[in-house]
Amino acid sequence: MAEAVSYTEKLKKWDRFEAEKFSKKAPVTTPYPFIDIEKPPEYRGIPHINPEKCIGCGACVNACPPDALIMEWDKEHGIKRLTYNAARCIRCARCIEVCPTGAMEPTTRFEIATDNKEDLVEVVEHKLAYCEECGEYLDFTERQIEYVKAILPKEIFEMYALDERIGLTQEAKMRKTVEKLRETEGIPVSAFMLVGEVKDKKGGEK
Amino acid sequence: MVTTKDLEAHFEFECKACENGRCAKADVETILSEREGLKEFYEAFKEHIRECKRMTYGQYMFVIDREVLPDAVLWWHNHPEFKETHMSTAVGTDERPLNGHFVYMPFLSVQVEHRNMDRNYWVFLKAYLPADDPSFPSVAAKLPAALWIEREVKDLLGFNPVGHPDPRRLILPEDWPDGVYPLRKDMDYRHSPITEPKTEYRPTPEGTSLVPLGPVHMGVEEPAHFRLFVKGETIVDVDYRGFYSHRGIEKTGEGRLTYNQVLFLAERICGICGYQHSVSYAMAVERLADVEIPDRARYIRTLMLELERIHNHLLWVGIAAHMVGFDTGFMHAWRIREPVMWLVERLTGNRKQYGMNIVGGVRRDILDYRKEEILKVVKEIREGTKKFLDIALNTNTFIKRAEGVGILPYKVAKAYSVLGPTARASGRRIDARLDQATKTAMAYNEVDFKVPVYKEGDVLARVLVRMDELFESLWIVEQLIDQMPGGDIMVPIGDLPEYEEALGFTEAHRGEVVHYVMTGEKNKVYRWKVRAPTYNNLPAIPEMLRGYHVADAPLIIASIDPCYSCTERVQFVDVETGKVKVLTEAEFNELSIKYKGVF
Amino acid sequence: MNEYVGWAFKIAGVILFLLLPPYLDGIARRVKARLQYRRGPPLSQTWYDLKKLFAIPSVIPTKSAVFRIAPYLALASAITAALLLPYGGYVPINYGYNLIVFFYVIVMVSVFIMLGGFSVQSAFSHLGSAREMQLLLTVEPILAVVYGVLAYNAGSLNIATIFNNLHLTPSLILAIIILAYALYVESGFVPFDIAEAEQEVIGGPLSEYSGRLLGVFYYAIYIKRFALLWFFVSLITYPVMRPINDVITSVGLFIVQILLTIAFYPIIAALEATNARLRIDHVVKVNVKIFFIGLGILAMAFMGW
Repeated sequence: MAEAVSYTEKLKKWDRFEAEKFSKKAPVTTPYPFIDIEKPPEYRGIPHINPEKCIGCGACVNACPPDALIMEWDKEHGIKRLTYNAARCIRCARCIEVCPTGAMEPTTRFEIATDNKEDLVEVVEHKLAYCEECGEYLDFTERQIEYVKAILPKEIFEMYALDERIGLTQEAKMRKTVEKLRETEGIPVSAFMLVGEVKDKKGGEK
Repeated sequence: MVTTKDLEAHFEFECKACENGRCAKADVETILSEREGLKEFYEAFKEHIRECKRMTYGQYMFVIDREVLPDAVLWWHNHPEFKETHMSTAVGTDERPLNGHFVYMPFLSVQVEHRNMDRNYWVFLKAYLPADDPSFPSVAAKLPAALWIEREVKDLLGFNPVGHPDPRRLILPEDWPDGVYPLRKDMDYRHSPITEPKTEYRPTPEGTSLVPLGPVHMGVEEPAHFRLFVKGETIVDVDYRGFYSHRGIEKTGEGRLTYNQVLFLAERICGICGYQHSVSYAMAVERLADVEIPDRARYIRTLMLELERIHNHLLWVGIAAHMVGFDTGFMHAWRIREPVMWLVERLTGNRKQYGMNIVGGVRRDILDYRKEEILKVVKEIREGTKKFLDIALNTNTFIKRAEGVGILPYKVAKAYSVLGPTARASGRRIDARLDQATKTAMAYNEVDFKVPVYKEGDVLARVLVRMDELFESLWIVEQLIDQMPGGDIMVPIGDLPEYEEALGFTEAHRGEVVHYVMTGEKNKVYRWKVRAPTYNNLPAIPEMLRGYHVADAPLIIASIDPCYSCTERVQFVDVETGKVKVLTEAEFNELSIKYKGVF
Repeated sequence: MNEYVGWAFKIAGVILFLLLPPYLDGIARRVKARLQYRRGPPLSQTWYDLKKLFAIPSVIPTKSAVFRIAPYLALASAITAALLLPYGGYVPINYGYNLIVFFYVIVMVSVFIMLGGFSVQSAFSHLGSAREMQLLLTVEPILAVVYGVLAYNAGSLNIATIFNNLHLTPSLILAIIILAYALYVESGFVPFDIAEAEQEVIGGPLSEYSGRLLGVFYYAIYIKRFALLWFFVSLITYPVMRPINDVITSVGLFIVQILLTIAFYPIIAALEATNARLRIDHVVKVNVKIFFIGLGILAMAFMGW
């Protein structure tokens, strides 16, 4: 990790067309598998999922044209599985563009030949968030919730009472809303009030 | 055959484009006066034209009755003034979910004036076919350019071209059951039925013997099956069976992908002209979305297209040399080509399959230090190619093999709608870069270059046309670098309008690539039709082969620069794992005796 | 003593023509690679290829015995041809009219390749065999005429005697030039590899062969090429190095023969690398022309020029 030069500097320095390399006559072939082939820094190799950064949002899965990235839910065990299959990958790097956290990392690796198919597959498993109220797993991962908490402005949080509601399943949320609706029956409130803090009103009523 | 008039169906269709103000249904006169020839056509077929509209800039559509299809196509094709007008291809669409009809739509590239993109235009002749009887009179009976496309729609959509001279199966494999049509909307893209294979080869003519050039043959780089009927060493006739690499990309694109995902799939249609497909597709979608892409993006696209052309032509000339056993030429051509690949790797991130495009612009910018490298490489290529040509064209044996071989006369080239360098070597003055309005996606209108045309029509002329083009491309690249404007490299695209059609096209190294896109709901693609140039060039191969030696066949076939995977684009196969049986040596020998001469 | 020396040379010759030909091919591959700016395979690559082929069983696509036997007969013919040539002045099999036998045995290699090709049901084999036959039928007359010139010039039909008794005439020089052409065509180098053209007829007569049988065929072809080149080399070294009457001159001759053979191969490789393959009709035309020129030379030889 002793790379002091920045990426752009590296780009400028890297020169395949150096005089001695380019004007070299015969032979131009290289004993390829036995030597490392030169790749420019811009080279778009297969991507790599950084499990530390990945939050399991599935943006990459939506963008991937050839279905190299697949998302699976295992609600029983509370696991969301993101699978990357290099054999299907067309190296378009769309996933890298759309990844919100930079977990999809570009590499310059292109040799994926192997005698074991499993070498081509990268699996990242995420823990699904657990809804205390109904005892079921959510569609989202714990990290997704953390991420949302980290990026959303506080006002929105307060407005929609997300602190309480974010860890709930869809049904629980609906149930809560309905409950609140009942509580506020007859009082005209705007939609976000239904989910937000209605303490004041409640208090007023009392 | 039920005539369209009986159905009276056309009158109910509402013109969706009207709402967007693009279709001037009410004002037919304005549309017809926009381009020369349109009015004339309207007058000639007045009682059969149901609707006419402008799809987008320079693309006009006439909804006509199906019984006049051949006449209408031939009217354009044989137009006395617009000499280089050709039938590009046709699109078959299953529009039953929308209006209960099938659609068969041949379209033509009308060339009013060579190299004037504002006067030339595309004409789409749309015919609605009833769902219970999807038949139409065959155009192919009179115009060989329609031979393949009519067989294709017969295979994939179950249309019936009445009077087609050769209604055999073209695209679907031999073991595909009759009556299952993959491109119909009621078929799932994962469905893959298989029955007993039955072959439909043409019988060997009297007094000739069969030389099977393929399905796997050294002289044909990809799977293709030319059945040469020979007398001694002279080729009498040729039968072609191809589409072994049919992958069903069109169906996949229509099934589940968004328009941006299709773009990357489009690039994977071909390993050589991938970027051409990508740009064509992007152009079609941009036309639909009605956006103007930034100038810088247009320049970068043009630059990449030309770099692709340079490397392809060098690759091709190498292959041509290899086909006649001139391996030194092959090696040197590929050595000269290699810096282009390196350069492109630096510019886009990959040697091929650039992944550079996105609908609305490009993904990577051309930075200044890369510009210098481009110029360096261009210089290198120019010198290298000059030297190479000097050697290759002075190799007597090479010239002896290429000269006067595989002659394709102008008239045949026109009748088959042969495209690209193959057509230009036969004297056709066509080049979609300048002939059609490419200015919305590319910057060809802002650079200066020549379109080399040769009249000889033999293999040597095809070599020379490509080499001249190569130097022109180098010159274009230099101009582009010089004139490159600044600014953004992409514009965002909003939602696409529903059920609208547009055509995207580029002049690939082999001829014009055409992508027809019809949008569906929710930013998906309802119909995506890809026509690679080889699709038009390959049917003309038998004409070129007839009368020449078996020894010339690989060179002649290679001379059109065939690209089978492009042509056969269009099956996701669920591999049903059968039992694997290891044959013993004796069994293997038995088999090879049993199938002798059958292949 | 002299007898032992003779045997030593004969054995050396046998070892030479069994081992050297694949290396010569290796040289040609290397030279070609360098002309094409490639690295090229190691010199013994052809040996590795043969070794691999010998280890693989063949697919037999016919019940005809000719298919199995033809490669071995071709190899036997090629070896016989090589045995008829002088190595350092000593000929392993030496008798009166062995020039005719040499001519015949060399033809037999091509004939067995042809027969092997015709014994299977494959359009490519048949096309290739037909081409091989056309080549043979047009090249052999040229060779016959040239051999006629040589025999008349030296007054003998024994190869060793011919080499020893040649005297320099214009007709001899012309005959050697034509012989070089005919031997080049006969060896099947590019641009005359029409019978085996892999892009056109995928190996021609060899297209149905695989594994061991193919290896034997290749080996036979290499030895045949070697024999033809050795014949040519002997033809130009003998008259220069005469008289060969003791061990030292014999050794000298042998070494010069080997060096010249090795030296000729890069030239051949360069010719191969800088040419495209001709078509059979081109070659037939050229061969017919050269045949008539050869007849003229024969007439010259009869007139004593």
